[in-house]
Amino acid sequence: MLTKISQGLGILPIVVFLIFLKRNNKKGEWVIFLYCILSFITDQIYGFLKAKNYTFSVFSSFTFVEYALFSLFIYLSLKEKAFKVILIICSAIFYGITIFTFAGKRIDSFDSLSASFEASLMIVYCIFFLYERMKDPAIFYIYYFKDFWIIIALLLYFSSTLFLFIYAATFTSQEHRNYWGINNIFDILKTVLFTISFIMKDNNKKQEFSLGTSYNEM
Amino acid sequence: MILLQVTNPGSNVSLVLYFGTIGMLALTIGLIVFIIFHQRKVIRYQLRLQRLEHDQQKMLLNASIRLQEEERQRIAADLHDDAGPLLATARLYLNENLVNLDKTTQLQSIYNAKQIIDDTIQLIRNISHSLMPPTLKNFGLESAVNDLFQRSSGSGSMNASSRFHDYRERLQAENELIIFRVIQELVNNILKHSNASFIHLTQNTSGDRFFIRLHHDGRGITQADFEKLNKSNVGLGLKNIQSRLKVLHGKIFFEKDMSQTYYKVTIELDKEDEQDKLREGE
Repeated sequence: MLTKISQGLGILPIVVFLIFLKRNNKKGEWVIFLYCILSFITDQIYGFLKAKNYTFSVFSSFTFVEYALFSLFIYLSLKEKAFKVILIICSAIFYGITIFTFAGKRIDSFDSLSASFEASLMIVYCIFFLYERMKDPAIFYIYYFKDFWIIIALLLYFSSTLFLFIYAATFTSQEHRNYWGINNIFDILKTVLFTISFIMKDNNKKQEFSLGTSYNEM
Repeated sequence: MILLQVTNPGSNVSLVLYFGTIGMLALTIGLIVFIIFHQRKVIRYQLRLQRLEHDQQKMLLNASIRLQEEERQRIAADLHDDAGPLLATARLYLNENLVNLDKTTQLQSIYNAKQIIDDTIQLIRNISHSLMPPTLKNFGLESAVNDLFQRSSGSGSMNASSRFHDYRERLQAENELIIFRVIQELVNNILKHSNASFIHLTQNTSGDRFFIRLHHDGRGITQADFEKLNKSNVGLGLKNIQSRLKVLHGKIFFEKDMSQTYYKVTIELDKEDEQDKLREGE
């Protein structure tokens, strides 16, 4: 049931993005839109690929592209050079591990190492982003920004699925059915938060305080 | 179903998975809540700061407007009470010439009218000098301050002296005027309120900083008093000093000397600001 809702709901951010196309004209938003399309297509063809026993390849490839898109989005949102450099170095390590795992033995149905490493890195990048925004004195209401909602979606999704991804490779079919609901719940939440972000108006201009009086009134 | 798995004592993996996920989720939600509350706290603090600054600006602006009005009233009073009657008297003497045909009386009344017109010229000159001292305009801050101190010393009740150690290059004319007005206000305050027997002014520079220090042995104020007076409705002169120095991005410090005998007032300015203004002017 949850799986079907999660798969069906994938269309929502795509439709909303296209409706509010004028509000979503930044590179970062296009990257997330691209991710939504990819995720929706993967969800739809997953059943077919699973039947052909391509589960490992599907998960690995999806992790590979998902990481690329999310890290690109965060890279575009970050301002501090040091954080960007860390992101590039970590990405190189991540891709090294993912390619190594992909090329190695494929005895498991799920690429736990890559997925959990991706989740850990994403949590760290999200913390970088939030720290940077907290430090910026010009930003008064962080939740007025579109990218804040995307980051919150990523943070909630990856922090709640981290442990699931660590153990996913060792799951039996029954355990997989029991626990995969966690992924579905937070996937739905992520989709909803992406949709909220696409609906929001662009508030990227620096907000200013107004006390309601000007010098003319003095 | 997840709970059923957790309650199974043999399932260590599910226990770690369950508590790990709950823990991570709690940490994430905690982090988000912390960020939002922290931001709200920062916003409240910044708003409070801005409101304080806004009130202070309003007070300074009011003080400067009031002072300007007082100055206008003083000039109006000088012109109305002194120049007006003098010119009216001169007119009366000249009128007399038309009526009186006696040569001696005519000469006498012309002489009287000339004397009155001379007095009026002197009066208008005094008013003009009080608006813009000619010494300051022609010879600079050092000469104008020396002049001011000589006049204060002239009464005999107080010993006033000044010494400029490093004033080879004059500041911009409008900045000199602002500094001169501040010094004038400080000297006036000392004369009026402190009961001092001496005032000594020194000027020097240190790097890019320009300093003017005033010492006196009367009853003075400290920085805390200055800030208190600045926030209250009294102390118009001090607010005026503050608003003038704000234009120059300058600072003023009121303190008691280490020996606890003298009061010291230090005016500190940035010479770089002055150079920037000069460059803008060019």
